Amino acid sequence: MVALTSAAGLVGFLSEPDSTLQAFALERLNNDIDSVWTEVSGSIGQIEALYEDQSFSHRELAALVVSKVYYQLQEYNLSMEFALNAGKHFNIEEGGEYEQTILTKCVDTYIALCALMNPSTPMSKDRRTSNEFDYKQNADGPANNATASMSSPITPFSQAALPSKSLLSRDNDNEWEPSAPGGGNAGVPGAHPHPLTLSTHVQKSLKTVVRSLFESCYREGAYRQVVGIAVEARNMEILREAILRASQDDKSKGKKAPVASVSQTEDLMDYVLDICMNVVQERGLRSKILELILELLNDIPSPDYFAIARCVVYLDQHTMASNMLKQLIQKGDGRSLAIAYQLSFDLYENGTQEFLQKVMEELPETEDSEKTVLPPASGPDSEAGRAAAAAEAAARENDGEQTANEEETSAESDQLLSELQDSAGQTSTIVAERTKPKPKSEDEKKAVTSVKTIMRGTKSIELNLEFLYRSSKSDKAILNKIRDSLEARNSIFHTSVTFANAFMYAGTTIDTFFRDNLEWLGKAVNWSKFTATAALGVIHRGNLGQGQKLLEPYLPKPHEQTGSSYSQGGSLYALGLIYTNHGTHVLDYLRRSFKNTSEEVVQHGGALGIGVAGMATGNEEIYEELKTVLYSDSAINGEAVGLSMGLVMLGTGNVKALEDMIQYAHDTQHEKIVRGLAMGMALIMYARQEAADELINGLLDDADPALRYGGILTVALAYCGSGSNKAVRKLLHVAVSDVSDDVRRIAVMSLGLVLFRKPGSVPRMVELLSESYNPHVRYGATMALGIACAGTGLDEAIDLLEPMMKDSVDFVRQGALISLAMIMVQQNEAMNPKVPAIRKQLQKMIGDRHEDAMAKFGCALALGIIDAGGRNCTIGLQTQTGNLNMEAIVGMAVFTQYWYWFPLTHFLSLTFTPTHITGVDGDLEVPSFKYHSNTRPSMFDYPPEQEVKTEEAPEKVKTAVLSTTAKAKRRKAAKERTERGESMEVEPTPTTPKPDGADADADKMDEDSNVVDTAKEGEEKADGESAASASTKKKIEKEKVGFELENMSRVLPGQIRHISFPGEGRYQPVKKPTGGPILLFDTTPDEPKSLLELKAKKRTAPPGPTAGNTIGASAAAGAGNNNGSGDGAGARAAAGVLTAVDEDVEGGEEAPVPDAFDVEDDEEMEE
Amino acid sequence: MADKMDVDAVNGEREEETVGPASDLPPERIIINNFDLIRQAVDAFDSRFILRALRSISTLRKSDKFAEAIVQGVRTAFPKPSMGARKVLEDVLPDNVTAMQNGTSAPSAEDKKKDASAEEQQLPEIWAYLGILVQVYLYDTQQFQEGADFSTNFVEKIRSWNRRTLDQIGAKAYFYYALFHETLDPKPPSKQSPVIEVRPKLLAALRSAVLRKDNDTQAAVTVLLLRNYISTADITQADLLVAQTQFPTAATNNQVCRYLYYLGRIRAIQLAYTEAHDHLESATRKSPTTGPAIGFYSQSMKLQIVVELLMGDIPERSVFRQPALEAALYPYFKLVQAVRVGDLQAFLRCVTNNEGQFRKDGTYTLILRLRQNVIKTGVRMLSLSYSRISLRDICTRLHISSEESAEYITAKAIRDGVIEATLDHQNGHMVTNPQRDAYSTTEPSEAFHARIEALLGLRDECVMAMRYPMNKHRQELSEAAKARERERELAKEIVEGEGDDGDGDEGGFEGM
Repeated sequence: MVALTSAAGLVGFLSEPDSTLQAFALERLNNDIDSVWTEVSGSIGQIEALYEDQSFSHRELAALVVSKVYYQLQEYNLSMEFALNAGKHFNIEEGGEYEQTILTKCVDTYIALCALMNPSTPMSKDRRTSNEFDYKQNADGPANNATASMSSPITPFSQAALPSKSLLSRDNDNEWEPSAPGGGNAGVPGAHPHPLTLSTHVQKSLKTVVRSLFESCYREGAYRQVVGIAVEARNMEILREAILRASQDDKSKGKKAPVASVSQTEDLMDYVLDICMNVVQERGLRSKILELILELLNDIPSPDYFAIARCVVYLDQHTMASNMLKQLIQKGDGRSLAIAYQLSFDLYENGTQEFLQKVMEELPETEDSEKTVLPPASGPDSEAGRAAAAAEAAARENDGEQTANEEETSAESDQLLSELQDSAGQTSTIVAERTKPKPKSEDEKKAVTSVKTIMRGTKSIELNLEFLYRSSKSDKAILNKIRDSLEARNSIFHTSVTFANAFMYAGTTIDTFFRDNLEWLGKAVNWSKFTATAALGVIHRGNLGQGQKLLEPYLPKPHEQTGSSYSQGGSLYALGLIYTNHGTHVLDYLRRSFKNTSEEVVQHGGALGIGVAGMATGNEEIYEELKTVLYSDSAINGEAVGLSMGLVMLGTGNVKALEDMIQYAHDTQHEKIVRGLAMGMALIMYARQEAADELINGLLDDADPALRYGGILTVALAYCGSGSNKAVRKLLHVAVSDVSDDVRRIAVMSLGLVLFRKPGSVPRMVELLSESYNPHVRYGATMALGIACAGTGLDEAIDLLEPMMKDSVDFVRQGALISLAMIMVQQNEAMNPKVPAIRKQLQKMIGDRHEDAMAKFGCALALGIIDAGGRNCTIGLQTQTGNLNMEAIVGMAVFTQYWYWFPLTHFLSLTFTPTHITGVDGDLEVPSFKYHSNTRPSMFDYPPEQEVKTEEAPEKVKTAVLSTTAKAKRRKAAKERTERGESMEVEPTPTTPKPDGADADADKMDEDSNVVDTAKEGEEKADGESAASASTKKKIEKEKVGFELENMSRVLPGQIRHISFPGEGRYQPVKKPTGGPILLFDTTPDEPKSLLELKAKKRTAPPGPTAGNTIGASAAAGAGNNNGSGDGAGARAAAGVLTAVDEDVEGGEEAPVPDAFDVEDDEEMEE
Repeated sequence: MADKMDVDAVNGEREEETVGPASDLPPERIIINNFDLIRQAVDAFDSRFILRALRSISTLRKSDKFAEAIVQGVRTAFPKPSMGARKVLEDVLPDNVTAMQNGTSAPSAEDKKKDASAEEQQLPEIWAYLGILVQVYLYDTQQFQEGADFSTNFVEKIRSWNRRTLDQIGAKAYFYYALFHETLDPKPPSKQSPVIEVRPKLLAALRSAVLRKDNDTQAAVTVLLLRNYISTADITQADLLVAQTQFPTAATNNQVCRYLYYLGRIRAIQLAYTEAHDHLESATRKSPTTGPAIGFYSQSMKLQIVVELLMGDIPERSVFRQPALEAALYPYFKLVQAVRVGDLQAFLRCVTNNEGQFRKDGTYTLILRLRQNVIKTGVRMLSLSYSRISLRDICTRLHISSEESAEYITAKAIRDGVIEATLDHQNGHMVTNPQRDAYSTTEPSEAFHARIEALLGLRDECVMAMRYPMNKHRQELSEAAKARERERELAKEIVEGEGDDGDGDEGGFEGM
């Protein structure tokens, strides 16, 4: 058939009364619509009328023609509508452009429709918060109303029920959040026909079309696409179906498939989990998906326990976790036990202390020795929990803890639910759990004990410690260089050396630097002494066994008022750092010390220690104790206490605590306290996302910049790692609009915390900010880069930061240096060619006399960070499995506060994550075996030691001296001339040999220079040789890719995917290798095993005390002196004197200097 | 009409003369250099490099070794004779050229497999570029039928690759595709012309381009479709197409010129002279007035002159004085003279004398419409000269046969607003109303407004066309950083120098 040149005739037919003619015309038009649509479009109304004419036989064809014309006219919505009405004529199997376009449109509309049907609901938990809060509001309403006017920041809380209108409100999510349900432009007015305006018939056919699309996807095994659509459409039914279909598919053909390959279901599950955790931003939806996954995972005969564990932790389903563990333990075979242990490791890594505590409680009792060390603090906690479960309503009235702590209540309701299930007889295991039977056999008992050990974290920490000690590769030369280049008498320099030392040896228990440099250490005064003592905590971090013994000499003695209060406070802080997030053993001690002292500095240290050790315990008692101290309104304490309150209540969203804090923040005059409280409030809202919006709005509207600062921090912490667009928008807005430099700085910085999961996006975002005229914004930009890209070695970030090392403002340089170090931690030349240059630059700067103190501080810190933890730690804000690493995030957030208070710098050590893979067998012992890394050895090697260069440095100084001595020589000559009274006219006789000192000196100098030169040459030669040999070695290495690694070796995050376990080896891992401890399944358990010797354990036992002893001895000596001299003096005055006495072991002439800095420090404190 | 297409063709490549690469390079060198440009364009996703590569075509086609150069280019890009892409290209080139360098033996099957993978690696952009060269060659050597066949496959292939970096090349390919089909017999005005068969393909291409947001192809194909419709006098369809599609705003200037020209044409035929004039005016203003594109300029100028005459205006004299256009516009000059004075005789004479030329220009039918205008102009001239004139005098002046028809004509002119006059039927007079002062009306301000608007539009377009180099400010920043560094160094030296001076002083004091 010849193509139509004009459709005018056919269009004419349409108005004929004869329906056969009309049908014929439509038929022809349909065939050639692509070339004649322009002419048809004029009479589209006519065809539509034909379609609407119920008696017309070809009305579906008419719909198709209309649809095609609209498609040509780019009216895709109408086109889709008519296409859906065209019934069988619209065939999606035809892969033309028209069909594809319409199909896309269908999917979009379907998503929008489904999203409308299942509107985003806030998580039930959040809803409970607000209800509960309303309740509270009524309970003590009058009290609040008395104090709070309309402008009070508390008011936003009370409006929790009302939709807020700010940027951060949930309601207008859809309008600009691309990842919001409905995808790209779902919800944008005009982008779609409003799905509800579609007629039911259209909706039905829409569903049929999408349905058939899904079917074809299933046929092709493209499950991921279906899952994607389902998640976007928030349609759990489809999601469930897709996963089930996938698993059925697997089953039907999976029999033949090799076992080794990952099954489709698992793959799909991974994908869903990945989407769920990284793409879905809304907590409500995320929990819904996770619940679904959990349910499905349990249905699968061989469940992926590790995936379940991730869900369980996220959903806070501790009962589920404990049940799973119990089941596995009951199975009792080696593999199940191994999985149980691995599960415990995972739970420990991802869960909060509170969660783990609950899981452990639900495990069968064991009368092991460790039970006794369980903190009494947790006792009443759980008791109260049970009481509340019994009489919830009554308990709510009276027990503030229960009502306020909503985590608790959610847990309760879970328990209640499970109890209900019990009565229905669904799960028998839970019945068993309620009655807590004694485990039946010895084996089980042992297993339970092991699981508890792991969950308490003891094992992980022990392994980390062992690894860090064993393979510490710190370069002492660098540290010595820092020490030599920074004048210890200046407290900022002293402190910075302390930090560099602390970071370099973090967690390695190697404190030799302190012992080797007692003289230097003796120069620490006041707060630098506090910091130095606390540094011990960083170095011994995780040394659970000896921690307390180690610090014994410094800790405050309850009965005798001895020792410097600074070192006492510092030691408490150190104790907290040693037991970070693992406070079971020391919390009681810390609390006692904290309560029993009235010394501000000790209280300060105690508060910090309690905060770090009792992180996220949500313990009300501790909170109350802290509050009492807070109300004493001391600036020194207040800051630490505010922070500590936040740390204890971390992530609980405890409304009562927030109210207290916000109230006090308004009442107090001390800026430091306000800042501490602001930080604390931010911490309480950690990872609570939308639930924190009210608080954020309240704080951001405050007139006090310190509270706005807190508001921004709250945004950062509540949305940390979420990459939430609304948070980013808010931050960017504040970053350019706030009047306070502090607020702007933290707003830019916070971008890093919000976006650390997508490090690649940060450099682009802060690019312009990093060129801001405002140095505070520039500083913020550097830190944002550092935080987000930590450990990645991202080139874009480095490109931005490199020029900023030469910024005109000192603190921007500081920020750039610190950030560069954070980004380049553990990078070597093979991974990033810029590393050596940057390292060199750092060393140059630290020795540069003309560099500002601030930049030098940053430089020292950077040198510490870049070699963090003996070069075996990276900075990771997320765990290996991709969850938020709470400890690290908190550490990072608090670290940024070093701007105001140096001792907080130590918090950075919380972010240091040891990078190793350690295989652990069923007895939780570390067997000796090897695994394989499929890379070139040089790829992930340690950076070369810096010894040679550092030795060169002093000589270089000498050669530099030469020029001046030459000048001096000339001057001397001139002087001699004048001495001899020769007039200037007389021609000087330089040729005359003068056998006096000057020339001899000069000769010597020349000789010297020669010597130096040759020495240098020699060195260079040696250098060259070594380089050459190194390069040849490298070449040899390059040829063979892949090498063996002994168990418990350093494995960088980038290296993990190259790691494989020998397939035929004795030990098989229970899951894909990730960093950290990995449970191994012993294929031949009867053979004798060779274990790795745990050096740290053995070693620290003897030297631990000696380490303490050596410093302790001096301290003790000092203490002895003090006993004599400072008996009757007043507490505050005594502290000063004691410090001075403590300082001046070497000599008295240094005494005035500390005084000067003393004053400075005090000023700093009081500002 | 064929020559007009040439005009267009030349117009597309107008820039090479000025900007093209140095012409002293051998053509094969230019082609191979262009491969790099194309690769760069694909890597950087920047269409400018492709445009630069396309610009050199006009230099290339003038070379007498064009075919050899193409063959060499093809062989550089696809070194193995077994490669499918190479075969397709070489098939249409003259045998003597291809045989000249073809000395390799038949490839084995294994080679073929390898070649296929190697071919995959070669960018489709490079292949498409070579395809364009082949098209140009075929067109220049008048092998229209081969060209049409080759082009049909060629555009099909290009459409199957959904790549944005191919857009510019694709647009060009469609252009030649349409051009070849237009030159095939029977030529366009005939309804049997192959032009009509091309239409569905072009429409489909248009749809794909719209869906893929491929502005270049969309613009090119829209223009080609308009041209296609106009060539077979399907003005209604052309009009409907214009009404129902949007011309991409981001289209290149050349395409915009052409689009406006065709639009002007359509409107002129539809009697919407004002609109037509606007379009044609923009087209002539936008089009380059020198170089090889002068053809398009003169073509649109002719049309514009006719439209202007139809509107009752007289074009400026300066239009005809442009040296490049003087000869081409001579018949129109005569025409204008006739219309200006309202001399019907001279007008008819001019039309009959130059009929061939006018038909060729496609303006003949429009010019025939001018007859009324000539008379109207005559009336207008009379009304300007005389405040009162008898109809008889009008008859004699304008060579009209009867007083009645003179009366009708004047009445029509009055009604059309050409003249401000009244007819005195009783006495057989036309009375001109006294002229009002133009400055008492809003007319001058409107004229100003129109000019300002045009200029502002021009400015906006210029601003939008400007491109700023990326990260230019970085350089300044780094320079600033360097300056700071120098300053710091200076400060250091000063400090050290002071130290020295101090020492020196001390020494001096010691000496005292």
